[in-house]
Amino acid sequence: MTRASDDVIIKALARLLMPFIVAYALYVVMHGHHSPGGGFQGGVILAAGFVLLVVTHGLEQTRKRMSEKLAGVISSIGVFIYGGIGALCLILGGNYLDYGKLSKILLVTPAEARSLGILGVEIGVALAVMAVMYIIFFAIFTAGESPEDDGRAE
Amino acid sequence: MEVTLLLEATENAFRILQRAREHAVGVLDTAVEFTAEETRYCDEKRCRALFTGAQRKKTQIHNFVGTSIILFAFWMLLSGKFDAFHLGLGAICCTLVAYLFHDLLFANVRVGDMRIVTARFIAYIPWLIEQIVLANIHVASLVLRPKMPIDPQIIEFKTKLETDISCVTLANSITLTPGTITIDIKDGVYYVHALSQKVADDLNAGEMEDRVAHIFMEADHLYVQDVLDAARIYQTLRV
Repeated sequence: MTRASDDVIIKALARLLMPFIVAYALYVVMHGHHSPGGGFQGGVILAAGFVLLVVTHGLEQTRKRMSEKLAGVISSIGVFIYGGIGALCLILGGNYLDYGKLSKILLVTPAEARSLGILGVEIGVALAVMAVMYIIFFAIFTAGESPEDDGRAE
Repeated sequence: MEVTLLLEATENAFRILQRAREHAVGVLDTAVEFTAEETRYCDEKRCRALFTGAQRKKTQIHNFVGTSIILFAFWMLLSGKFDAFHLGLGAICCTLVAYLFHDLLFANVRVGDMRIVTARFIAYIPWLIEQIVLANIHVASLVLRPKMPIDPQIIEFKTKLETDISCVTLANSITLTPGTITIDIKDGVYYVHALSQKVADDLNAGEMEDRVAHIFMEADHLYVQDVLDAARIYQTLRV
């Protein structure tokens, strides 16, 4: 269904924009704890970058960069980071996602520990959101093909 | 009698042995030669492989470093926070992105061309702005005249440009100039909508294409200026 676009302009501009889109998405994630943005928004922008790559360079080219399997693994890692930080707070004697308690292992003041904890959770959310959006997009785009066809095509 | 026979036989035997020895030496020499050639060939091949591998590695590293520097500048522009924590985060993120996408930003660029291309591109921008201003005045004069003498048409021309990035630069320059819009590029043929005969003629003259080709150093392309120079020399030689 999605072959590489044969429009030179669109292909070249997507190629040039892609690193900047991903860098912008990471900026949104990393600055989420004291400016607008955060894990969800950054993750969606990341996924949008990959969708742009699929639309312009085709499914196969994008699969080489990130396969559906890798996306599944990344989404699990994201959820694991989120749940892990929450559970770590529980283990350290606070509530779930009570970042202040992280100061004991990060060796900083509780206020700074809160900031760092939110950053960590946001990275996890961004990874999970990006991977899940990517998987949903791939599922929609390859809806016509059965899995066996898929294997033979590669 | 028997002694003479024996002597003869021995002599014959020696001769045969001698010949066999010469043959053996010859064969051995050839074998040694072949081996040497083989080894040399292998060495050459390995050297060439090493060289091309190193070349590719070098290009990759250049692309990687270039991409990360550009992305880091972009990050600082966005972030505006210059404390160690945020700059460190930025460095990590930019390195990661550059590692993942180092082949996208500088695809199809010949090694070592980047500096010249950048300089020529910057030199191209004032000319483009001048063209845009001139075309603006032209289009405004067309539109403001009560008769409105426009002559919309679609012109197509075959381009001499080779790489995708030069095609895109030309297409966007055409679109930026008022009165002309690039509709499509198919197999190196541009389809451009032009508002009047004058802008169409300007485009068909091909100065913009020449300049874009000059920026990206399209190799087997004759510049108008070069042809004029050559013609002058040719004239002098003939007279």
